[in-house]
Amino acid sequence: MAISTIQEVVFGEDLPTFEPDTSLATTRQFAALVGWGGARFSDHEAARKEGLAGAMVPGILNQGYLVAMIHHWAPNAEIKAIDTVFRAPVIADEKHTISGVVTDVNEADGQVEIDLTVANEKGETRVFGTATVQLPIA
Amino acid sequence: MDQDITAAREKFLNQDFDEKSFSVPAEKTIEYARLCGETAERFLDASHPDFQAPPTYIASLSGSRALPEGFPRFGIGMDAGKGIECFLPVRPGTTITGRTHLHDIYSKTGRSGRMVFAVSRIAFYDAEGNLLANSDSRVVMREKS
Repeated sequence: MAISTIQEVVFGEDLPTFEPDTSLATTRQFAALVGWGGARFSDHEAARKEGLAGAMVPGILNQGYLVAMIHHWAPNAEIKAIDTVFRAPVIADEKHTISGVVTDVNEADGQVEIDLTVANEKGETRVFGTATVQLPIA
Repeated sequence: MDQDITAAREKFLNQDFDEKSFSVPAEKTIEYARLCGETAERFLDASHPDFQAPPTYIASLSGSRALPEGFPRFGIGMDAGKGIECFLPVRPGTTITGRTHLHDIYSKTGRSGRMVFAVSRIAFYDAEGNLLANSDSRVVMREKS
């Protein structure tokens, strides 16, 4: 069930996991949209020649996935801040899962803190971050 | 704090070194939102009464330079992460202005030596001069041993 007010949020609760579209097609479209040329975002073979494990998902697209996940959980949530650390490349066409957990709830001002992690199928953390989110007060 | 870091902070922090204007086309912000997996209508539907760019859209906007002229080269720079702060929605169809300054400089020393971090912040303003959002890029420079 989607969250609509701060009173519905439980400290320590897990957000529903989110599987982002990390396909090469999406990665390529996104890189073109933001003007990031370069084969590392669009071509597995060329990326391998650069020493990568394959074409990678741009860091800011990963950040976008994290925010989209929060909006799936709470559609009217306002993102006040999000900080992300790109620990290791997210490789396109590999399945990744995003998890999130509520680490602070402030009912008085309607703000929630959420820790977020992007992990690959081996369970390796590739990106992590923290978001501060504003929710309506009932 | 190391002397060279203190000197760099005194010389470079909180001084704007770049200014650039950005148009915010609706079709681009909608596509950005769609590719990120957004489903909220205020990011996807231009006729929505609260239509706005997705919060992380500003992270895709780069200034003309990432570091100020004369900033010391501590080592080869790598992307260490990004952060945003949102104060007001960015409205598609408008033009916004980004002003860049160094927000922080600090170092960490680990087993492999010292790493210097520089946080470059672009502050985005609307045409009325209202601060809409900050976009931070952290660059880490590993010193040659």
